[in-house]
Amino acid sequence: MKTLISLFGIVSLILMLNLDVQAQCDPAKHTEACIPQLADGFNFVKSYEINGEGGAKDKIEYSYVFAKGTQYFISICAEGEGTDGIILNLYDSNRKQVGTSYANGNFNKGIIYPCNATGIYYITFTFEGSQNHCGGAVLGFKR
Amino acid sequence: MKRLLLLSLGIFSFSLWSCDSGSNLNEQAFLDSLNTASSNSSVISDDVLESILQQIPSPLEISVLLKESGTNYNKEFLNETDKISSYNSNFKKALNLGVYGTDLGYTNIYEQNQDAIFYLNAIRDLSDGLSIGQFFNFGTIKRLATNSRNLDSLLLITTKNFNSINSYLQQQQRSNLSVLLLTGGWIEALHIICQVSQKNPDNQELVERIGEQKIILESIMLLLSFYSDSDPNIGDLTKQMATLQSQFENIQITQTYAESTLEEVNGIVTITNKSTSSINITDEDVKKIAATTAQIRDYIIN
Repeated sequence: MKTLISLFGIVSLILMLNLDVQAQCDPAKHTEACIPQLADGFNFVKSYEINGEGGAKDKIEYSYVFAKGTQYFISICAEGEGTDGIILNLYDSNRKQVGTSYANGNFNKGIIYPCNATGIYYITFTFEGSQNHCGGAVLGFKR
Repeated sequence: MKRLLLLSLGIFSFSLWSCDSGSNLNEQAFLDSLNTASSNSSVISDDVLESILQQIPSPLEISVLLKESGTNYNKEFLNETDKISSYNSNFKKALNLGVYGTDLGYTNIYEQNQDAIFYLNAIRDLSDGLSIGQFFNFGTIKRLATNSRNLDSLLLITTKNFNSINSYLQQQQRSNLSVLLLTGGWIEALHIICQVSQKNPDNQELVERIGEQKIILESIMLLLSFYSDSDPNIGDLTKQMATLQSQFENIQITQTYAESTLEEVNGIVTITNKSTSSINITDEDVKKIAATTAQIRDYIIN
């Protein structure tokens, strides 16, 4: 009986700790904070939640059809001033990388992509030394 | 010892209950009010569905393109707002919510704020009919709509609201309505750009943009296919959309890949990409696409 109770207690504790880790991440808060960071002239169109679930997920991916002749701006937000190790990588429809926010050892806050080729693009977020594995991003466009 | 066991059980049960804190009576009422076939019959996972829904571009992009290309505002391209009372199924409501959403974006981009108010009212009525009116604070939106200086805020709020509605419908496992909302919005945007293009046949950029819709239509057809067997209305719509898809078949989109370069300025990376795409589309293709799009739109709005 003691073993059963101990086991049950441990399971309950793990469950609660797991819920706590997930509850700490509020991506909506970060996406909301990110909208004003879109550069002038860009129209907001999408927000992307970045919830690494405390490190359980190492990559989060979204996709969007980018159109030729349009500029896109993706801004990343996390706790504090920086990106908390969140890296944005952009891939074209053939999964070839067209850009990254991590350049010259710097975790940049966003990328601008003037699109010359219409197609589905893949937007991935990964973590490098991240503390919270939690953030948000927004996509804007302009002609 | 028994008390300890009961306490553990209590904590365990509470933890599980807390996971479902999103449910409430209003949401249940919303679920009960739906009269289309259940989306549970979809065989696709929610993650895959959401990922396809996410990739469809905003119709706002087409409105901005039209304005930037110098074409004038034309209210005749838009759906009339006095048809609301005839949209009495959730199928029609969701489709026309998408249609009016595109029309609202068009009026916003052209700063036609008086017209925008009519579309806001129509959107409010349809949203209420689908029990998703809580996403619109119409007092704020109308205040913004009465002043053209507030255009950015108005666009932002209405875009955020439509994003929230889509997320909510997906969370409620009623993604079929999200798919309809998106399809209605896309058809309306395609209709507007086809009409403008036919009045401005020399504008090659508009023609190319029509051809590029082939990529988006493929995603929309995939989304519709998840529900076309289980929902007769969606099945009917899918057949019509398939006719449209057949008219895009001859259009060729070619992509050429080239390495990109990056430039960092003040924490923002600007990508210079030499990849290009070209499109092969004839005037005849545009005419056929415009005619079929108009037919499907008639089916949606009438």
